[in-house]
Amino acid sequence: MPVDTARDRAAASGVPGTSQARQARLAWSLSAHAQRLITLALAGLVIAVITRRPEFAGVAAPAVLLLAVRRPARPARIAVTASPSAVKLTESEQAELTVTVTGQGDHSVDLLLHPRYAVVPGTAGGQRDGEPGLSAGTSGLPFQVTRTGRRSLGVLEVTLWDRWRLTEGHATVELPIVDCYPMPAAQQQRVVLSRLPSRLGEHPSRSSGEGLEFTGVREFVPGDRQRRINWPATTRRGRLQLNTFAAERTQNVVIIADASSDVGEPGSTPADLGFRGAAGAARAYLAVRDRVGLIVYQRSVRWVAPGLGPRQYYRIMDLMLLEHARVADPRRDAALTRLPRAALPPGSLILVFSPLLDRRLVETVRDLRERGFSVLIIDVLNAEPAGSNDSVSGLARRVWRMEQDAIRFSLRELGIPLVRWDGRQSLDEPLAPYTRRVMVMRR
Amino acid sequence: MTARIIGAAGLLAAACVVWSALPLRHGALAAVLLAVAIACALLSLARLALGPTSGEGAAYLNVAQRSALNLADLARQWPWAEGMVVAVLVLEALHRSPPWHTGLLGAALLAYLFASHLAESRARPAVLRPQAPLIAAGLGLLALAAGAAALPSGTGSAAEVLALVAAVAAIAVAGLAIPV
Repeated sequence: MPVDTARDRAAASGVPGTSQARQARLAWSLSAHAQRLITLALAGLVIAVITRRPEFAGVAAPAVLLLAVRRPARPARIAVTASPSAVKLTESEQAELTVTVTGQGDHSVDLLLHPRYAVVPGTAGGQRDGEPGLSAGTSGLPFQVTRTGRRSLGVLEVTLWDRWRLTEGHATVELPIVDCYPMPAAQQQRVVLSRLPSRLGEHPSRSSGEGLEFTGVREFVPGDRQRRINWPATTRRGRLQLNTFAAERTQNVVIIADASSDVGEPGSTPADLGFRGAAGAARAYLAVRDRVGLIVYQRSVRWVAPGLGPRQYYRIMDLMLLEHARVADPRRDAALTRLPRAALPPGSLILVFSPLLDRRLVETVRDLRERGFSVLIIDVLNAEPAGSNDSVSGLARRVWRMEQDAIRFSLRELGIPLVRWDGRQSLDEPLAPYTRRVMVMRR
Repeated sequence: MTARIIGAAGLLAAACVVWSALPLRHGALAAVLLAVAIACALLSLARLALGPTSGEGAAYLNVAQRSALNLADLARQWPWAEGMVVAVLVLEALHRSPPWHTGLLGAALLAYLFASHLAESRARPAVLRPQAPLIAAGLGLLALAAGAAALPSGTGSAAEVLALVAAVAAIAVAGLAIPV
């Protein structure tokens, strides 16, 4: 199904980055400090009475003095505004939540962030009394989101202290939602096909044209541009010779990100790696003005048709974000073969980021290859079945590994290049054999 | 900063326990009180070091991790510092210590309570600045009381008056806690 980002975003729960002032009711209580002072005072006075030793009454004196002071009027409510520095972040990008508290009167404010899943507070972990910025009622809480998806930042606990720190008022405020894009993998080199569609671009093609890359010399014919005459060759041969250049073409790149297998360590599952790799590849190809599209493969298939430019990059990232947050409908089966021509143009380079655990995807890749598409698989499998160390589990794991090897062998036999990527290194390293020269795919 | 304050609280707690226990007194009650004071001091420091609860669910943890989490929750739940204060003061009362000895213990206990508060709320010592005059006045009263106790008492009437004043103050302190 083609993605309609605006509609999907509206349908998704919560709106990212809302930062309206919220009224929070305060629950006041005696602070733990005051309770300890009361204990000291009572214990000292009781012992003084029982033992008739006045020095114990003296022990209680400082606590009694502190407890006897007049406490200021306590506000029943405060207004809290929490706005993140950005509503769209990349994984592990540092951001700041600006919190403004009003209506606290003479009380000092203490903020503590209780983060939700995949949200990590910054080094401070919360702005405290006595630190700069808080006296003005505004404070910055650094944080970062460590995993792709639509994430709630968590809950902010606001504590108000009176001047003597004997009473404390507590309020909790639900924090806004932010969108976290996958961290694009590093990629500098690109795989370029030998046959490119006749659209102007930046890749030198086999056919001659108006590009910059020199391809050879031929005889001048009327109508050729005189400024391209190769005078040394003309002098040698006695006839006018002309420099020829390669035409520069663009290519269609379709990236298939397999998000069907979310296994392994959260944050570095094959789905996470696939999205990071897909984001890196999309950025690298869009940088040289290639037309890049994305197909996200789960139980159902969603896609963004190939397009150009920075906006296309954000369309692709939005689709990954939505697919990461979406619960797949098990009734719908993926069918890459039924994709329209717009999503999978003929002659496209197809990059598949997959752990190859889903048999239907493997069959689909085979089918695409048999239909003549140039397919390159980036294997992102980085986990294997867990189990005990007994002989049966060991045997089962061995069978599983052999099955995986067999799948990869059969794909290679079909002429589909397959490289492994562990998610830590640059994509250039595994793709190096295919980026040094143009990739020729047999039909 | 917080680690330093927790360290200071630990040193003060150790000083209070040692100060109230010396000279060592033989007897079951003193031994029990000393053990209670040491245990409470250690658990109060553990509570400070653990900080507030992280709020993470224990659904996917193994038995050892869940037990550690339960122990940490236990350390957070109980008022160990208060227990230590009471145990130390009773231990001090069991000794026939000179008044200046008790006075110093009182000052150390007060410092321990403030250090605990700073460590618990992760606040800087500057937040205590508004209280400084009151603390100074309280310490002055403590010194006065210790000095008065050190004077030779010819009659018992002064002690009777002090006992009455202490009883009234105890009722007032209890009353202060009720409105909140």
